[in-house]
Formats: sequence, C-alpha cells, structure tokens
Amino acid sequence: MDIELLLQRIFDALFNSAIYSSLALALVIIYRSTGLLNFAQGEMATFSAFVAFVLLSGEVPGLTGGEIAGLLPGVPWPIPLAVIGAVLFGMIAGAATERTLIRPLEGAPELAVVNVTIGLLIAVNAMSREWWGTSGRLFPALFPSDADDYLGIGGARLRFTTIGAWLTLLAIVFLLGLLLQRTKAGLAFRAISINRDSAELNGVRVGRTLMYGWALAAGMGAMAAVMSANAVLLDANMMLRVLVFSFAAATLGGLDSPLGAILGGVIIGLTQTLVPAYVPWIGFELSLLPPLVMMTIVLLVRPQGLLGTKRVERV
Amino acid sequence: MTAADVHEPRTGFRWSWVGYAVIAVAVVAIPLMNNAIELRQQSRLILALLAVLGVNMCIGYGGLISLGHGVFIGVGAFGTAYFVDDMSMPWPLAILGGTLVAGLAGCLIGLPALRIRGIHLALVTLGLAIVFRPLLKRIPAITGAGGDRSVEASFDAPSWFGDTRYANSLWQYCVVIAVCLLGLLLMRNIVDSRMGRAMRAVRDNDTAAAVYGVNLTQVKVLTFGISAAFAGAAGAVEVTMFPFVSQDNFEFTRSLNLYAAAVIGGLGSLWGAVLGTSALSLVPRLGNLLDNLDGLPLVGWFFALLRSDTFVFGTALVLLTFLAPGGLSRIRRVPSLAPVRAWFKRRYTLH
Repeated sequence: MDIELLLQRIFDALFNSAIYSSLALALVIIYRSTGLLNFAQGEMATFSAFVAFVLLSGEVPGLTGGEIAGLLPGVPWPIPLAVIGAVLFGMIAGAATERTLIRPLEGAPELAVVNVTIGLLIAVNAMSREWWGTSGRLFPALFPSDADDYLGIGGARLRFTTIGAWLTLLAIVFLLGLLLQRTKAGLAFRAISINRDSAELNGVRVGRTLMYGWALAAGMGAMAAVMSANAVLLDANMMLRVLVFSFAAATLGGLDSPLGAILGGVIIGLTQTLVPAYVPWIGFELSLLPPLVMMTIVLLVRPQGLLGTKRVERV
Repeated sequence: MTAADVHEPRTGFRWSWVGYAVIAVAVVAIPLMNNAIELRQQSRLILALLAVLGVNMCIGYGGLISLGHGVFIGVGAFGTAYFVDDMSMPWPLAILGGTLVAGLAGCLIGLPALRIRGIHLALVTLGLAIVFRPLLKRIPAITGAGGDRSVEASFDAPSWFGDTRYANSLWQYCVVIAVCLLGLLLMRNIVDSRMGRAMRAVRDNDTAAAVYGVNLTQVKVLTFGISAAFAGAAGAVEVTMFPFVSQDNFEFTRSLNLYAAAVIGGLGSLWGAVLGTSALSLVPRLGNLLDNLDGLPLVGWFFALLRSDTFVFGTALVLLTFLAPGGLSRIRRVPSLAPVRAWFKRRYTLH
C-alpha cells in the first residue's frame, strides 16, 4: 500500500471530519437538552450560506441591482464580515424557529416535532432551490487555498483550509466550553440537560435557555455550511449529504456527548474517504453507505454510542 | 388507545357520504376530461394512493416512523420490470412478484425497527432514502446500466376494449382504479383485523402489548413488510404505464413527499390517505393558477415559492401540526386558532 497516498487521503478526510464534527456538535447540543433531532439543521445551514453568498455577491434572487442597492449597505462585503453576517442570521433564525415552532409543541408527541423539522427541511430546501436554482455556485475560501497553500508532511499535503477548519472547530469547542462552564446561561443549560423538571422548579428559564441552545446550534451549522460551500459548490442540496454524515457521526459518538460528536466526526470523515478509495465497488457516489451502515449497527448494538450515557427506560 | 381508534357513535352529518360521492364523480369525470397522455399522468397520481396507504399504516397504525418508503416503490418498479422482461413473466404475475419483493425488502428493513425506535428509526430510513439512488446504479444486472432501464413488454388493452391510444390509457386507468380500490379494501380489513389491533397496541406501548401476548417481532416486521408491499404495488403498477424505469424517479424527496402526504391527510385513517393523495396531485396544479400573479415585484418573488409543490408540502406539514394535529381527515370544522390561543394562555397566566 502506498503510504504517501494513504496519508494524503487521511489529510483530505480531516477536512470533511471538521465539517461533520461541527454539524454533529450542533445536533448534539439540541439533542442533549431536548431529546430532539433537528432534521432541518442542514437546510437551515445551507440557507445561511446563501445569505453569505448574497452579502458577498450582492446578487439577490428575483430582484435587480437597482432595487437591492438601498437594502444592503456596502454590498459586496468582505468575506469575514459576510460570514459573520451569515452566522448571525443563522443564530437569529434558529432562535426564532425554537420560539415559534418548537416551544409550542412542549409535551406533544415525538411525531409532532419530527413533522415540524421534516416540514422545515422540505420547505427550506425548496426555498433555496426556487430562489437560487440548482446549479452550484463558487464560494470564496475563508482561508488561503491557493495551489501552494499547504504544509508538506511526509510527502503529503496538509492544506491550510483543513487546518483552518480544525482551528475554527477547536475555537468553537473552546468557546462552547467556556460558555457552558463559566456562565450562568451555561449552568442553566447543563441543569436542563440533566433534569429538566428539577431545573424548571429551581427557577431556570427553560424556554429561554433552549432558545439560546438552538441559536448556538444554528450558528455552528452556518459556519459548517460556509466552510463546506467552498470545498464543494454551493447549492440547495449541499448539506443534505453532510447532514446524514453528521447524524451518523453524532450517533456513533453518542447523541448526548459533545466530545463524542467530534470523535464520531473524525471516524465518519475517515470512513467516508478511505472506504470508497480502497473498495472500488463503493466509489464516491456510494460513500454514504459505510457511514449509514455504521450508524445502523451502532443503534442496534450500542444505542448510546461510544461516549454517550446509557438511558434506562421505564414502563 | 387514542380516541380515534374507538368507533365513535355516528351522529350528525355523515361526511363520508360526501367523500364517496366526490370520489365517484371524480373517477368518472377524469377519463372524460383528459386525453390519452393526460389520463396516464392522472392514473400515476392516483396510483400514489397505494404508497400513501402504506406510509399511513406504517406510521399511523404501527407507530414506526419511516421517511424512506419511496425506496419500496423503487424496489417494486424495478422488480416488476425485471420479472416481466428478463424472466418473461406475464404482467399480473410480474406485478405480484414486484409487490412481494418490495414486501420482503420491507421485512428486511423492518428488522432493525425491532430495536431502533421513534426518531432514530426516522433517521435510518431517511439515510436509506438518500442512499437508494446511488445504490441502484450499482446493480446493473437488474436495474440496467446507470440505474435506468426500459421495459420491452407492453401493457395493452385487450382487443375487445379497443386499440386506440386513448383506449389503452383508459384500460390502464381502469386497472389503476381497480388496484386502488382493492388496496383500500385490503387495508381496511388489515387494520380492523387481529393484526391491526396488535399493531395499534404496539404503537401505543410495546412493552404493555408484549405483556398481553403480542409477538413484537412478528408485528413490527410484518407492519413494515405489509406497508412496503403497498408502496411496492404502486411502483409495480406504474411500470405498466411508463415503460422506462429510472433511478431519477427515486430521489429522496419522493419519500419525503409520501411522508408529508400521509401526515397532511391524517395518520391512522384511511380517509386520511385518500385526502393526502389528493393533496399530492392537486397542489402542483394550484401552482399553475398562480402564474397570473407573476411579474409583480416582491409579491412575484414570494409566489414563485408557492409554485414549488415541495415548498407548499413542507409549509403545510409545519402549519397542520399546529392547526390540525390529526391531519385533514380529522378536521370536523373550520380550523381554528384555539390550540394556539390555549397554549398562549397556559404559558402567560399564573397557574
């Protein structure tokens, strides 16, 4: 086996790993506090990436340049500002979703929440598709990504975009840790994750805290989408594959474990790149299959995942 | 058991009679109003009823959330194409074969459902729906190169029925109507049978059901299998009308649309499946009405969205969860904002 090639493939996989870990982390934040899976996480993120695209290009669907000029000051914005704009948009949209669509379903059957998030998935996907079309769009890179922007290690190239994605992820994890461990809102969030009813009785404002959680998750999703939009082209279905990979990552690591989400992301990223590379029958198109099989096996054999906590069910 | 499972005393106006009348009129009117090609399109839309019935049963009666029933339509379609062409079976046998293969596939996929529940099962089935298309391209022996195959055997009307193109379409339409009626009848009998009661018991509390002697393995696997067979039948009969089976038709959105139709119509209700299928075929037509509003600035921008049927379905799925949680079939009066108001009251008054 060609070690150099293997190393190169691992480096390539690490970029995807960072994206999957970010989105898996977003899913875990919501699952941990509410026991819900947000099926619309990926589509909300794609929409945020399109917002960044609008801020960058000034191209608004359905409107001509003249109409838009007064609406968005100073378009096109520089990339960092546009990304911050998109993340803020994502956070506000996430908070609004929690407030208007999820919170009223408190105590409703599980299926109701699945309906709402699947409905959002379908509707937001259709929105992106109708407004921006299905053709992929070039999205500028956040980090230096020219042909010679890499670190040579053992003959393989570790690209700056990969390093950037991991630095972003680690920064997010670090900030998240600070937030959870050092702030009052974080304390409230942890209390809700452990025992929601007791937290509420002790005066924790459950609704508001969960809203912050949704905002954080959506912001992380937006960040993941912006990074992945540069790697592949930006289009309406972009995050769909990513969402499935991230679900697999979160399940593998344990749906209620943030550390597990990152570990799962790394494992899924490696599987998704290495298995198709060495098993020709699977190829790029079927690269979804191995993670999916892994997810199913984990759910069957060890539903709590690698690092999650076991749930005991009472009748 | 929920209230909906208990046969309510029949009081007041019988809406079901209106339903029967509308269906009867529609069944007669559709062939009169359409030409050969349109009629075939209509037949295809009506045929979706079988698949919606399957999803409706799986989620509504069995409590197994499936986001991937489009997969079984595909298995049924490719299975039938394979049987009728490569094994040169007669059509009825091939259709039956395709349905059975889809049912078997459903039983297989149903096996994980023994341990994976609720939202996690939704996740696995969604993944299945997404991976199905590329998977089709990998078995060219059955699905043709690149996952597309044409069907050589043609499904023609018998000679006494006529041999024009319209007669052919009409014959296919009649077959579709017959199959759908058969499906409805069969489904009604299944959900009212011992098996149907066991399914609902498992849905409401599987541990309790097991205590009462329900065989969980058997019930869950069969629920998935039977519902998959219904979806497979839809795919199988579709092959008689459209002799080109392509992986393009089995995009995951098809599965999600089925799910949306079943939920919007009303889970755990056969009328719900009928209403959901109607919505599935009527909504894309509503979009055409909106064409007149084009050209208006911002308004046109928004109406462009309404023309996308998937957008309408997604939005309807979200809105109906609040306005009519039981789906269209359980609306007894004009939907009110009462649940929303009640929630606000609960939230913002002292208690």
